[in-house]
Parts: sequence; structure tokens; C-alpha cells
Amino acid sequence: MAFGGWLCLLAPLAGFLAILLAGTRITRRQAGILSTASVFVGFAGAVIAFVDALGRTPEDRAELTASWTWLTAGDFRVRLELLIDPLSLVMMLVVTGIGGLIVLYSNGYMAGEDEERRYFAYMSFFVFAMLLLVEGGNLLLLLVGWGLVGLASYLLIGFDHHRPSAVLAAKKAFLMNALGDAIMALGLFLAIAKVGSLDYGAVFDAASSGALSDTTVTLIALGLLGGAVAKSAQIPLHTWLPDAMEGPTPVSALIHAATMVTAGVYLICRTHPVFEAAPDIQHLAALLGLATLLLAGVVALVQWDIKRVIAYSTMSQIGYMFVGAGVGAYGFAMFHLVTHAFFKALLFLAAGIVIHHLSGEQDIRKMGGLRRELPVTHVTFLIGTLALVGIPPLAGFWSKDPILAAALAQGGALGWVLYVGGLLGAVLTGLYALRLYFYVFHGERGEAHAEGHHGEGARTMTWPVLVLAGGTCVVGFLAIPGVWEPFEEWLEPVVPPLVAPTAAQDWLTSLVAVTLGVLGSYLAWRAFRAGRELVADGALRNALEHKLWFDELYDALFTRPAQALALRLRDNVEQPVVQRGLDELAEGTLDAAAVAGRAQSGLLRTYALAFAVSVSVLALVFLVVR
Amino acid sequence: MGPDIPWYLAVSSILFAIGVGGVLLRRSPLIVLLSLEIMLNSANLAFVGFSRLHGEMDGQIFALAVMAVAASEVCVGLGLIVAMARRRLTLDVDTLTELKG
Amino acid sequence: MLTTLLIVVPLVAALVVWVLPLSAESTSGLALLAALAEVGLWVGGARNFDFSSQEQQYSASREWFSDLGISYSVGLYGFQFWLVGLTVVVGAAAVGYAMWVGRDRPRAYYGLVLFLVGSLVGVFAAQDLLLFYVFFEAMLIPIYVLVGVWGGPQRVKATVTFVLYTMAGSLLMLASIIAFGISQGTFELAELGTSSNDWIFLGFLAAFFVKAPLLPFHGWLRLAYTEAPPEIAAILSGVVSKAAVFGLVWIVLPHFPEPVDDLRGLALVLAAATLVYGSVLAFRQPDIRGVVAYSSMAQMGLIMLGIFSVNDLGLDGAILHSVNHGLVSAGFFLLAGMIEARFGSGEFARLGGLAKGRPALASVVLILGMFTLAVPGSANFAGEFSILAGVFERGWGYAAVGVAAIVLAAMYALRLISAILHDRRASGTDDESSDLVGGELALVLPLVAILAVLSAWPALVTERSFPLDQPTSFIAGQEQSP
Repeated sequence: MAFGGWLCLLAPLAGFLAILLAGTRITRRQAGILSTASVFVGFAGAVIAFVDALGRTPEDRAELTASWTWLTAGDFRVRLELLIDPLSLVMMLVVTGIGGLIVLYSNGYMAGEDEERRYFAYMSFFVFAMLLLVEGGNLLLLLVGWGLVGLASYLLIGFDHHRPSAVLAAKKAFLMNALGDAIMALGLFLAIAKVGSLDYGAVFDAASSGALSDTTVTLIALGLLGGAVAKSAQIPLHTWLPDAMEGPTPVSALIHAATMVTAGVYLICRTHPVFEAAPDIQHLAALLGLATLLLAGVVALVQWDIKRVIAYSTMSQIGYMFVGAGVGAYGFAMFHLVTHAFFKALLFLAAGIVIHHLSGEQDIRKMGGLRRELPVTHVTFLIGTLALVGIPPLAGFWSKDPILAAALAQGGALGWVLYVGGLLGAVLTGLYALRLYFYVFHGERGEAHAEGHHGEGARTMTWPVLVLAGGTCVVGFLAIPGVWEPFEEWLEPVVPPLVAPTAAQDWLTSLVAVTLGVLGSYLAWRAFRAGRELVADGALRNALEHKLWFDELYDALFTRPAQALALRLRDNVEQPVVQRGLDELAEGTLDAAAVAGRAQSGLLRTYALAFAVSVSVLALVFLVVR
Repeated sequence: MGPDIPWYLAVSSILFAIGVGGVLLRRSPLIVLLSLEIMLNSANLAFVGFSRLHGEMDGQIFALAVMAVAASEVCVGLGLIVAMARRRLTLDVDTLTELKG
Repeated sequence: MLTTLLIVVPLVAALVVWVLPLSAESTSGLALLAALAEVGLWVGGARNFDFSSQEQQYSASREWFSDLGISYSVGLYGFQFWLVGLTVVVGAAAVGYAMWVGRDRPRAYYGLVLFLVGSLVGVFAAQDLLLFYVFFEAMLIPIYVLVGVWGGPQRVKATVTFVLYTMAGSLLMLASIIAFGISQGTFELAELGTSSNDWIFLGFLAAFFVKAPLLPFHGWLRLAYTEAPPEIAAILSGVVSKAAVFGLVWIVLPHFPEPVDDLRGLALVLAAATLVYGSVLAFRQPDIRGVVAYSSMAQMGLIMLGIFSVNDLGLDGAILHSVNHGLVSAGFFLLAGMIEARFGSGEFARLGGLAKGRPALASVVLILGMFTLAVPGSANFAGEFSILAGVFERGWGYAAVGVAAIVLAAMYALRLISAILHDRRASGTDDESSDLVGGELALVLPLVAILAVLSAWPALVTERSFPLDQPTSFIAGQEQSP
């Protein structure tokens, strides 16, 4: 297992370094091949580790392998170590498997770009960072991976560095994530101060044994949640994700849908003993997830950019995962993470084909009627859409409904709020998903021209989409409630769930959820047929189009005060007090020197006279004083 | 036995005053240098005088050190004066005010 | 012996350069040779350095004025060894840069730079208080001349303010040194006991807080860092400021346990204020060097936080971060010089869009920028994390301010990167073929490579800075307070 884990981690790093160091000595095409190969080698490593783990007993499937000591200070030491267990194996397979498909797709999508080598280097780097995040064997390495994926995200969102909006979006994403990192770091400092170590085992033992006070555990959990919320674009740190769509579409698929943004869910599952010791914070996670899934769902109803709609849908789906993790249904949350990775990557890549076909057009009002031009894309996009809505037997059905059933099983006021809210979200999902589908593929052919006649693009683009569509159809069968649940059983030794819905709850939930999803879809179809918008003009629509003014609020609350403070400090303190005061000091000194300098006439005889007079005076003084 | 110590001191003081006067009043660097030498030698005379009075050799040793210093000083000073003459600068200390503040 | 060699080689080379009438080429060649010899000596020394030992190593001692108890006494503990390493590496890069630019009046110039390097090594290796002061002052003299003669248009003003600040600080320190040494009867650091005199303590602080600089004492910083030649600014911010780190860790903390304990709160507040103030101001500077200057100030504030937390995490982190920050800011000042040489100015209004077609420049700016904002996984991250974890134990508020400042650091670093590399191409930069060339890369890449190694293995420094497992007990061994 150790070998597979290290291979999986280091192959993408090697790919990144190779492309970086080779520079212009390799062609753009070779860089793409190198990057794709490195990620698939990583996948092979993950599979090796997975097969190895399969052959062991469930209790024996976790392995901690360490290399050198990374950081020390007195008794505090952190080793560079990997933790390979069922949870990280799931993530490794998803990251390298789906990541590999997306990098392969990039070979076609990015062909002809100016700086392709840089793109592929960054992609390999991202996969490495993401693997470090999921494989890291202690909290500090987790934080390192956490920060490095943020860096990769920054680099890739801002890939078109000559476009100011892309650079701005990249900076925004990085800053929000840096804020999350900072909050998380505070939690870790507290853990160091109270536990003296950042090893998973030590921290978890201290948390679950009650060795730490309630306040301490709550604050540590809050720190972790802060990081998770920023990375997973949940309220209140969600505003960066829609803007992040400025990046190339495969980047959106890989980073901002399938892997990085779901890291928050992984974090909660990984550190579940801490959250379980601080149930308030765990419930807060669920409520934040619920708020995000509803908010993103309604905002998605009025968006016109194809990628932004999918981005809001990503936020919404991650909200479901947070609800699952928040009520302790870790297995279901992780399963939704996996299925979501499939169908959301599928949607993004299919959308990428559409955008590619239309030479970069992203406004769905200018699309329409594309089902005849792009038949394969149409079918695959529809599969992705239906999976998103949760129509059986596609992936989303098998993973979303158990989360809601778990909320029901949780019971109490919290459980019911989550349950009803989640069902409401199902209607919203049907509405915005089908609205998007109809606008793009049905109706009159829009005004956007397919100038280059790309069609469905190179085979490197269609094949990954087809593979993902196939996966979306079958992956759901890994967890059929009550019948065949290998996925939950696989995760059980690492993250035992807190709640288990009964068969009746499962059936009831599925029935209601599917009905509501279909209802939403039907309403979307009605509205589209009638040429109406889902949300009529008015105050509500205005509010939604401004994304409920979160950006404006943060601008007024943080950005402008910070800039104003900087200007104030510069203009009212640094310039007048420090620098000008300094000028005066310097000029005063120089003036005084000029005055004193006049005494230095340069005349030898004056000096000699002064000398003689001084000596005489001194002599007299000595004579008199004695 | 020669004269008593006051005589030595008197001659020394007169020599010193001549030296000071020379430095203060003359404008030629050569004469200024000469006057300096006179002052140094007046000090030497006082040293040797006291040395004899106390019967110790310290003063004489010091006088020798002063002579060595005076010799080096003359070397440098004369060298500077020759250099100035070569560059056709006026040999007048009142016009040499390059280093004024 | 090695320590003495490390001090003497550049000084002798400086003398040779000053005295012998060599041509410009051979002067710079000799200077580079001496600078590289320093690096070689250091690497050789590293191979034989016993980091686990509690003894001072490579020490040499000779009596100087026995009446006053002053001696020439030098030697190296782990953390001093790292600071010396930083000095020789940055010194070599600076000499290389000067050679690349081709400074006029080379004999005077290289002589002064070598003299500066030699005195800096002396500062970091001194084991006698008065010897420390001698080197501390000796390193300032070449800086005055180098900034005042070879600097930018406002060089005279820059020099005057620098002289005023540093002289005020060092004279106060001299008074403290004399008072402390006379009262103890020796100036040997190892034999000096502790003192509880607040005034002597404050005299030391004055010099070190000016040198760092901390908040109210930073008036000299902007002009000196902007007007100095880039390679001198690199030494100034990268290495000279670390003299304050050395002084605080090795003179103030061990010998003034009570005043440190009493006034720690004040020092921590000043350090935190410096961190925030520097970060905020860096955010609004109009040119590259301004951003790097104030960012240096902020980073020094962070290092001071680590030092005054006086615990394992804080001190280890402070030494690690000193090395990191020295390399990063030196690299950035050299880079600023290269950009200014190309486009005539480092003002953001005249830069922008440089990433297009200049992969080497873009990569270097990006990498150094990422080190500046301490992206997780970098050596700077390791340093900042340890420092903040250390100061967290002294009060969570300091750590909270610290992480807030790190978010600010992300803001100014990203602004710096974008202003140089991204968006449209500004008026001043339409020269297509001006990527970094081999010679320039040869100057910057070694710094980046060292940073990369430290990122993969920061414990290389932190584990080997202080001789015991417990640096606190080593540093503040005499600390009476609980």
C-alpha cells in the first residue's frame, strides 16, 4: 500500500517538474502527453494501493508511512507521512481517475492555446497538491495540501493572465482561500498548544477521550470548519466560486467541481472525531450546507452563463454533502462526493464542448437548438442533468436521497429542517438543471456562430465525456440501500456513521425526492415552452441577479475599509509623520552642519591662532585654578 | 656644570614663541614648516633640560622620538610643498582654502 | 579557525582590491572569487559542523585589552552558523549582480562590498560584546558610502536619514555595552551574567529595533531600500536586518531575563503592530521596491513576534524565517534591479503584462511571490507557522493578528505579481525580447533552489539551530521567572 500511495503522490509531481524544467525543449503536445501520463501513472498507483487494501481485513486497511521529519521545534515535530486508508483511497481514485480523464480532455480543448505547457504543468501540480491533501498523514500536511490546491486554483483561474477579469477572479479565489487557511491555522495552533502534536491519532484521541475542554474542542472544530467552508465555497465564504469560472473549462471541471471544492467534505469526514466531540459545530456545518444549497439553487435560476449555472449547482450539491457530513452520515456524504465528481465533471466537459464549438460563447441565450449539431454531447449532457436532478437509476439518485433519509433519521427539529430544506433543494435542482438543458439544446438555433466548425472536437475530448457518462450510469449501484452497500462497508472502519436510516425512511425519501425533482423538471419545461423565465422580473429577480448582494456586502465591509485604511495610513501617518518628519530632521541636520561648516575657513593661520589661543586660555585656567 | 634649569626653560619659551609667531604671521608654507620645527625643538630643549635636572634618561629618549617625528613631518611637508610648486600653485597658505566647510 | 577565515578572507580581499591597481575585470573577478570562496568555506564548515553538540564550534579567542577584559573572541552555535550561511550566499549573489551590471569605480565598490560581507560575518560570529559592537559599526560604514555614492537620485537624503537613525541606535547600544561590561568586569558573552537593569536593556533594544526595524523606528527604511543599488538593498534587507535577530537572541534574551519578562508584552505589541502596519502599507506602494521594503518590515515584525515569544516554536521559527526572508527579499531586490534595468523604472504604472513571452521572468516572479506570501508547504510557511504557533502560547490575540496579516500578505503579494506580470502591457514595456538571460538566472536561481530545499526540509534548520532539544532553556537558561 505504501508503494502505491507514494507512486500516486509523486508521479504527478514528477510530471510537473519535468514540464517545468524542460521548458521549450518539448513541444506543447508532448507537454500534454507528459501531464496526462503522469496523472494516469498516479491512478495506477492508487489502484495498486486499492487492490492491496482489498486483500486485507477491514481493520487492517489503514497504513501510515513516514519519510523524513519535516518540521521540528523542541518537542513538537511533524513528519512527512502518508496515511493510506479506505477514506483516502476513495479520494485518490477519484482525483487521479477523473483527473486523468479531464487532463486527457484538455489535450483537445486547449490545443492552439499560446501557453499550453504552462497549463499542463499547473494541472499536474494541482493533482499532486490534491493528493497531498488527501494522503497527508497529519493535520499540518493536510493544511499544506490545502494551501497548495488553493495556489494551483489561483494559477489556473488566472491562466489567461492578459484578461483582467480572470486575474481578478484568481486573486479573489486565492484570498478567500487564504482566509480559510488562516482560520484553520488558528485551530491548529490551538491544537498544538493543548495537545502538543498535529498527528491525527493524538488529536482525535484527545478530542474523543474528553481530555480537552469543550471550549477547546469547539474552537478547534470551528477552525477546521472555517477552512472547509472557504475551500468548499459554502456560505459565507462562497463568493469566489462563480467568479472562478473565468478559468478554462477543464479547470472548472477538475478543480471547481470534481475535486478541490469537495475537500471540505473530506476534511469533515477525516476529522470526524473532533466534530463529534463538538456537536454544535457539526450541526452548524449541516445548517451552512443547507443554506448554501438553497441559496445557490435559487441564484442558479436566473444565471445566463452556462458555466456559472453549473458552478452554482456545484455549490448546491456540496451543500448536500455538508448536510450529510453534518448529521454524521459520512459514508453517504462521501458517496455523493464520488457520484457528484462523475456527473459534474461530465456536465462541465460537455459544456466545454459546447463552448468550444461556439468559439468561446458562454451565454445560454445565444445558444439553443444545439442537439442536432452536437448529438453526442446532447445525450451525455442530458445524462448528467438527470443524474444531477436525481432521476433513477442514475448516480445522483443513489447518493442524494440517502443523505436526506439520514437527515430524517436524525430526527428532531434539526433533522426536519434539513429534510424539508433538502427536498426543497430537489425542486430547485430540477428547475435550474432542466432550464439550462432546454436553453442550450432545444428551441431555436441561437445567434452564436460556430465559426471554426469544431463540431464535437477531437477524440481526446469526446472519449472522456463518454467514459464519464458511462460512469454516471453505473457508479450509483455501488450503494443500493439495504441491498448491496459495498461503499459504506468499505468506509465503515474509518468513518463509522452516526445515523442509519431505516428501509421505510429510504423508500419514503426516494419517492418524495424523485417526485419533487420531476416536478421541478416539468415546471422548467412548461416555462421554457411558454417562453417565460422561471423567476419573473421584480425585486426577487433583481436580488437574485445580484447574487443577494454578497459581493457588494463584502466589498463594503472588508475590501473598501482595508483599502481606505491603507490609504489613510499612507497619507496621514507614513507620509506626513514618518517620512516628512524625517525630511525635516535630515534637513535640519544638514542646515546645522552648513552653519558649523562656515567656521572651517580653510585658512591655516586661523586654525593655528585658534589653537594657540585655546592653549593659552587652558594654561591660564590651570594656573588660576591651582 | 652648565646653567640652571630656568635658563633652559627661558630659551625654550623664547624659541617656542618665535615658532608660534612664525606659524601665525608668515604666509609661505616653507617658513610655516620651519617655524613648526623651531617649536618642536624648543620642546626638545625643555625635555633635555628636565632630563638633566632629574638625572633620568626619559626626557632624552622622548627628545629622540620627537626628532624622528619631526624628520618624518618635514619629509611629508616638503614633499607636499614641492608637489604644490610643480603644479604651479601659489605658495601662500592663505590662498590654499580648498578644505573650507 | 574557520570562523576567523570567514571574517578575514573578504577583508583581505577588500584590502587587495583597494591597494592593487587592478583592471575593472580582474577587480570584479577577484571579488567574485573571494565571495565564492566564502561560500565554499561555509559549505566545508557545514560538513564538519556537529549540530548536536552543545559547544561553540570553530571558535577562536585572543586577548585584546586585558585591562578591560576585551578579547577577540569568535565562534559559532547552530543558529549563528545559519545566519553566516545566509550572509555568504547573499553576499555572493550581490557581488555577482554588481559584476553583471558593471558598477563604475569598481575598485572602491567591490572593496566596500567585501568589507561589508566580512563585517557581517563578524557580527554573526562575535562572542565578545565589544567585538560585536566593532563589527556592528564596521558594517554600517560601507553601507553609508555605497548608498551615498552609488545610490539613486535621492541617495544623499537616504544616507543622511540612515546615518541618523542607526547612529542614534548604536550610540545608545554603546552606552549600554559599556555600562553592562564595566559592571560585570568582562565583555565576553559566555562569562557575562544577567542583569535586571531596564535602562541597559532598553539601550540594546533601541539599536536592534532600529535595525530590524520595528514600527516607530522605521523612518529610514523606505528611502534606504529604494535608493540603494539593488544588490546593496538586497544585503540590507536580507542580511543586515538579521543583525537585530542575532542581537536579540544572543545578547538580550539570555542576559536580561527579568526586563524581557517585564517588557515582553510591549515588545510583542510593537512587533504585531509592525507586522500589520508593514503589510497594510505594502499594499498601497506604487513600485516594486516599495512593496518589498514594507513587506520586509512586516516580516521582521513577524520574526520579532517569534523571538519575544521565547519558546521552542517561536525561536526555531524565527531563525528559520530569518534565513527564508533573507533569501526571498534578496532575490526580490535583485529581480527589481533587473526589471528596472530593462524598463527604466519599477513603477507599476509603467509595468504590466510582462508574463507574455517571458517565461523565465514570469516563473521567477511568481515563485518568489509565492514564497513571500508563505504559501503552505514553502519554507516561509514553515517559519511563519512555527512562529505563530509559538506566539499563540503567549496569547491567542497575537496569533490572530498574525494570521490576519498573512491574509494581508497574500493581498500585497498577489498585487505585486499581477502588477508586474498580468493584464495589458503598459507603455514602458513594449520591448519584446527581454526575458531574463542566463547570467541573471544564475544569480537568482541559486537563491530559489536553496529555498526549494528548505521547503522540502525546513527541519534542516529548525532542528539544528540550537544545541539542546530545548532552545528556550538554552537561551533563557538563567530565566528565573516560571
